[in-house]
Amino acid sequence: MKKIKTMKARMILTALAGLMTMTAGAQTLTGRDIMQRAKDVPDGDSRYSEMELTLIKKNGDKRERKVVSWSIDEGKDKKTLMFFTYPGDVNGTGFLTWDYDDISKDDDKWLYLPAMKKTRRISGSSSKTDYFMGTDFTYNDMGSRNIDEDTHTLLREEDRDGFKCWVIESVPVDKREIYSRKVTWIRQDCCVAVYVEFYDKLDKLHRKLTISDIKQVQGYWTKSHMEMQNVQTGHSTVIVMKNPEYDLKVDKSMFTVAKLEKGL
Amino acid sequence: MRSLLFILLFTVPIPAVAQESEPLSVDVKGFVDTYHALRSESDYDWMSSRSRVRGEVTISKGGAGAFVSANLVYNSILKERSGLQVREAYTWWGNDHWDIRAGRQIITWGVADGLRVTDIISPMDYTEFLAQDYDDIRIPVGGLRLRYLRDRWNLEVVAVPVASFFELPVEPNNPWSVVPDDLPLPVQADMGTAPATKLENMEFGARFSSFLNGIDFSLCALRTWNKMPVFTSEVQAGTILMTGQYRRMTMVGADVSLPVGQFVIRGEGAQYFDEAQSPAAGTDIPCSGTANALLGIDWYAGSDWNLSAQYSYKYIEDYKPAMSGKQHTHMGTFRISKSLLNNTLSLQSFAYMDLTDGGIYNRLSADYAMNDQMHLMLGYDLFHADKGMFRTYAHNSEYWLKLKYNF
Repeated sequence: MKKIKTMKARMILTALAGLMTMTAGAQTLTGRDIMQRAKDVPDGDSRYSEMELTLIKKNGDKRERKVVSWSIDEGKDKKTLMFFTYPGDVNGTGFLTWDYDDISKDDDKWLYLPAMKKTRRISGSSSKTDYFMGTDFTYNDMGSRNIDEDTHTLLREEDRDGFKCWVIESVPVDKREIYSRKVTWIRQDCCVAVYVEFYDKLDKLHRKLTISDIKQVQGYWTKSHMEMQNVQTGHSTVIVMKNPEYDLKVDKSMFTVAKLEKGL
Repeated sequence: MRSLLFILLFTVPIPAVAQESEPLSVDVKGFVDTYHALRSESDYDWMSSRSRVRGEVTISKGGAGAFVSANLVYNSILKERSGLQVREAYTWWGNDHWDIRAGRQIITWGVADGLRVTDIISPMDYTEFLAQDYDDIRIPVGGLRLRYLRDRWNLEVVAVPVASFFELPVEPNNPWSVVPDDLPLPVQADMGTAPATKLENMEFGARFSSFLNGIDFSLCALRTWNKMPVFTSEVQAGTILMTGQYRRMTMVGADVSLPVGQFVIRGEGAQYFDEAQSPAAGTDIPCSGTANALLGIDWYAGSDWNLSAQYSYKYIEDYKPAMSGKQHTHMGTFRISKSLLNNTLSLQSFAYMDLTDGGIYNRLSADYAMNDQMHLMLGYDLFHADKGMFRTYAHNSEYWLKLKYNF
């Protein structure tokens, strides 16, 4: 009974969010406002998911990675614990991230390597622009990013895949970013991005991200299928999100170095 | 093999307090690998040739479980190293705020990479010097580890009734033998008698670790032994007899990791009290306090480039002429690595540098992931030294190849 009530409350919240979005459409919205709304789309206080990452070479050869992850919000900050479960050579490798919303504060990151039986403190700032474990997603793409790390401009409104979208251009403030700008299509009905283009330093299209199978799980909008294609190399990565769960009863002690070392 | 795994699994008891509500989980993984190394100068002989199956089994239920890892090895050069070798075999029990682990286990302390300042509980297997995988080089100890866990700090207490000691190659058929071959008389070496397994010889210690925004640090203390034997020598019947010796010692130390932008600065410092020192020929084992320090810097340069450098220093207090080692010793390491082709190819150079006497051991490697399970690794181990710790291996430079299948 309590579960049904909770579900109802979430449906009402979602409807209200949609109404607010439609109302907002009538107002003069800036690019930043829209990106803030997209960031503020409810995703629970904590979440769990299993991700299957398929790395596809230009010639069609495929490699797989499997990851399980938990995350929890602490105010505007987020803590994430992630373990690789496949393939065997990285099975058990873990990442712990304390991701701070404050731009001036570097994230705290630890890497656990089971073969070494050792946890290493790793840089919280530089690895953001590196690609995550050989995929076409950078650590930045995988994590949350402060709105003010980019300057956002609303370019236009247009339909994409049958949904009315805002098209926003975001230019990074930090010139160390690997892209010069990105353009994001955000569905107006749910404030979820469905397509992103990343441009390189020469302003040539570098990567494009297509997000599909967007559905509600426990009342929260969930991106179940993401494909990032590097148009310059022909390499692409597909991430399929499985068994997502929200508002789990997880303790803060889950997001500690001790838990990282304990493993799954 | 199956029957052996069965015995291993069921001789490690899972605590009866396992929570009934959670299902029993059994995870089996491992790999098969084959490693071969050829000396790169005359006589161009095989330095290593071994194949193995590694099995790792984890059984868990609720907050309790057991872990066993073992190698089944065929070594065509060091025949005595062939056979089944149990690596770790331990059981654990605990919850989010404390845990206890009992059995044969590898315990790692400190933040150094490949050098040892505070990380002196699990010793090293130098049977093939540093040409083995890192997890094979560490020797497990039989002990108990209790941890009290908080969000931002841990307290770890260890008791090791069954200490383990360094394994050094002293057999003349081993290309990595540490026994000098340029002495006027033949040399016969043995590792000596390790301290008896009794209560008063137990190792024990504690480590407090803290993980904060922008800094990790630890404080530790350990009552232990010189795990690396020092050798006494005497001449008998025209042969130099070298015998390994072990003495009690105490370590008090600290370590720190400090991320600064793209860099992580690491440091360790430790005072060893009454550490056994190598004696001059025909003298007793002198013991002395030593100061040990390490400073390292890692640079996460982006684009999958990683660089790391370390410097370590050891100072022997109350230095006496009866000590055959040097009062000041300096070591360095330098690592550079780069991943290419969406992490399918990893290139790395890792060098140990003897800064006291001049000398280098540099392992160059290329690791190519042929598919999700199979890795092909090629490399070259370069030794260059006229004196000092690498001189024994001055003619051991080698090409090597390794094929590894993970399951």
